Amino acid sequence: MGSTEQEVKQDGSEATQPVREIGHDEYDPIGTLTLIALYFLILISMWFFMYFVEFVGNDPTVVGMV
Amino acid sequence: MSTFVDDFPAEAKVVRSSMYNAFVALAIGALMGILQTLYRTDVFHFISAEQYYTVLTAHGVFMVISFTIWFLVGVFAWAVISSLDRGVEDLRFTWAWFGFMTVGTLLAAIAIFGGFMSDPPEVLGSELSADVLFTFYAPLEAHPFFYIGLVLFVVGTWLAGADWFRSYLAWRSENPGERIPLPTFMVLTTMIMWYIATLGVATSILVFLLPWSLGLVDTVNPTLTRTLFWFFGHPVVYFWLMPAYLLWYTLLPKLAGGRLFSDPLARVVFVLFLLLSTPVGIHHQYLDPGIAEGFKFIAMTNTMFLLLPSLLTAFTVVASIEHGARQRGGEGRLGWLKALPWKDPVFTGMIFAGLMFAAGGFSGMVNAGMNINYLVHNTLWVPGHFHLTVGTAVALTFMAASYWFIPQLTGKQLVGRSIALVQVVLWFVGMVFMTNAMHRTGMLGVPRRTAEPWYDGFEYAGNVAEHNFQIALGGTILTLSILLFFVVILLTLLRGSKGGVEGSSIPEPLSGPDHSPAVIDNLKLWAGIAIVLVIMAYTLPLASIVERGGLFGPDGMRSFPSGNPGFLEYTSLFVQMVIQNATEVIFR
Ligand code: HEM
Ligand SMILES: [Cu+2]
Repeated sequence: MGSTEQEVKQDGSEATQPVREIGHDEYDPIGTLTLIALYFLILISMWFFMYFVEFVGNDPTVVGMV
Repeated sequence: MSTFVDDFPAEAKVVRSSMYNAFVALAIGALMGILQTLYRTDVFHFISAEQYYTVLTAHGVFMVISFTIWFLVGVFAWAVISSLDRGVEDLRFTWAWFGFMTVGTLLAAIAIFGGFMSDPPEVLGSELSADVLFTFYAPLEAHPFFYIGLVLFVVGTWLAGADWFRSYLAWRSENPGERIPLPTFMVLTTMIMWYIATLGVATSILVFLLPWSLGLVDTVNPTLTRTLFWFFGHPVVYFWLMPAYLLWYTLLPKLAGGRLFSDPLARVVFVLFLLLSTPVGIHHQYLDPGIAEGFKFIAMTNTMFLLLPSLLTAFTVVASIEHGARQRGGEGRLGWLKALPWKDPVFTGMIFAGLMFAAGGFSGMVNAGMNINYLVHNTLWVPGHFHLTVGTAVALTFMAASYWFIPQLTGKQLVGRSIALVQVVLWFVGMVFMTNAMHRTGMLGVPRRTAEPWYDGFEYAGNVAEHNFQIALGGTILTLSILLFFVVILLTLLRGSKGGVEGSSIPEPLSGPDHSPAVIDNLKLWAGIAIVLVIMAYTLPLASIVERGGLFGPDGMRSFPSGNPGFLEYTSLFVQMVIQNATEVIFR
């Protein structure tokens, strides 16, 4: 396996031809988990980075005395 | 397998016509987009600084009111008709809402374009112009045509919703006890949200702005009309987004060669959006004086909950695509990505749209946080954010979907498939340049909605010229992308050969609706809860805004019929109004 059967139609589009059938129980979305974990990592590091943009560069805005 | 136009030729014509209207709006919006981009980056001034605001109004209104909504009524009509597998109940009614929306669009367009004339004519006693931007905040005042046009347009969408509910009820009487087909479920929940949301803007226009523009009342309370606008202004973003989600949940798994991972999860997501979309609008008003911090804090908390359904969507949609890739033979932890149909512009366009949405998720969280919002409020950061969301997640999904819809609606094969692929990639690239630089300049404090954001004796603490170059470059690439889009659409319409278009059937989900409790399909229950949440979130803020600033402004207060009603009277009046309208909507 590993190869994809692609049938090219008249208009140049590939027909989506499954080479195997995967049911609900035998499907394990490990790739999805990986991608989502990656996204969370990016979010967290950007959030962390933002701490410096917001609080180190400026005075706190909401918290504190007027 | 047959296409949509084979099965429902008369309905396909309505859907097609809606989409053509959307395309016209997109073309006008894009022209305005490049004009203003070149102006404010100081690259080339095709227009004057005054005209900038007419151009900006046209860009905003044509893009996010006309283009998006015209396209989505097409998508929704298609979704309901094809998933219930029945034609509309009465075609004349369908064309009637189409007519309302058309007349509304034209009236608003006339008012906006009046602003381009050096000496606009007087119509109905006031100058024909509407340089009020798409948020039409008082004290900016538009010609009555603008407001009347908006009202007719919105009424058209209400009738469209009624059309779909009617189809659903007719289907229900023939199929008692069956689960609502997923696409119809998505349309109905979104429309309930829309009915609730548009009450705000309808009140704002009909009770305050239109009478004011017609000279029937002298003043309005600007905070009140702003708040009513944002009552609608946040849920409207989900009105744009839900059709894109609908396509991601239904079309994308099919194109990837798989099946939707979970039907119940998709339903939960749409219910959450119905419940949470409206009681958050005040998060657009973090910097409005006259609204207490406490109310803003509550709006912020609700907003953070709203991240949940979008994260659920990310999971479900990606899992469905991965399923497709594995069925097509994909292997490995990430190697399956290679097995996806990347040469298909419909697929690739939607994936890129989703990717941009993930990036928009971050800047959205920044916007949503009260304290960090202060840092970016009203700067170019904000247009940077929403060109990722509505400008790409929604707009690119719609353009990509057009390559699937137009063949379905005309029976003609797509012509220029590789141009279409280049088009969606160019949109992505253009937006990377434009939005990244917009975010960066926003952080330097460069304001949005400003023709000439440069000032004597003041320098921004950063390289604005470099960012401006990227914005102009991005805008130019986007314009090129739009041109290619129209090349493909026109080629298909003029040259496409009939026949050979793949059928429009959507494969069954991996986990079907019977895996979820029946209560999920109880639309009345969700509508009821949504209304209660809105009442809880808005009663006190609205009451205090009215108490402080008067229903029609500080002076208008005195002329209000009952003298000076107190807090309680306003509150109960408002609650009554909401409940009345809501019951009408549910039990129409
Ligand atoms: C041709 C591609 C586009 C270009 C070059 C472009 C450019 C711009 C620029 C530079 C602004 C900021 C102007 C300012 O604040 O002074 C802007 C605002 C805006 N754009 Fe776009 N845009 C494009 C496509 C879109 C799309 C596809 C949408 C939505 C579907 C959209 C929706 C908006 C909205 C709602 C505003 C805010 C208008 C306002 O502040 O009242 N744009 N656009
Ligand atoms: Cu919002």
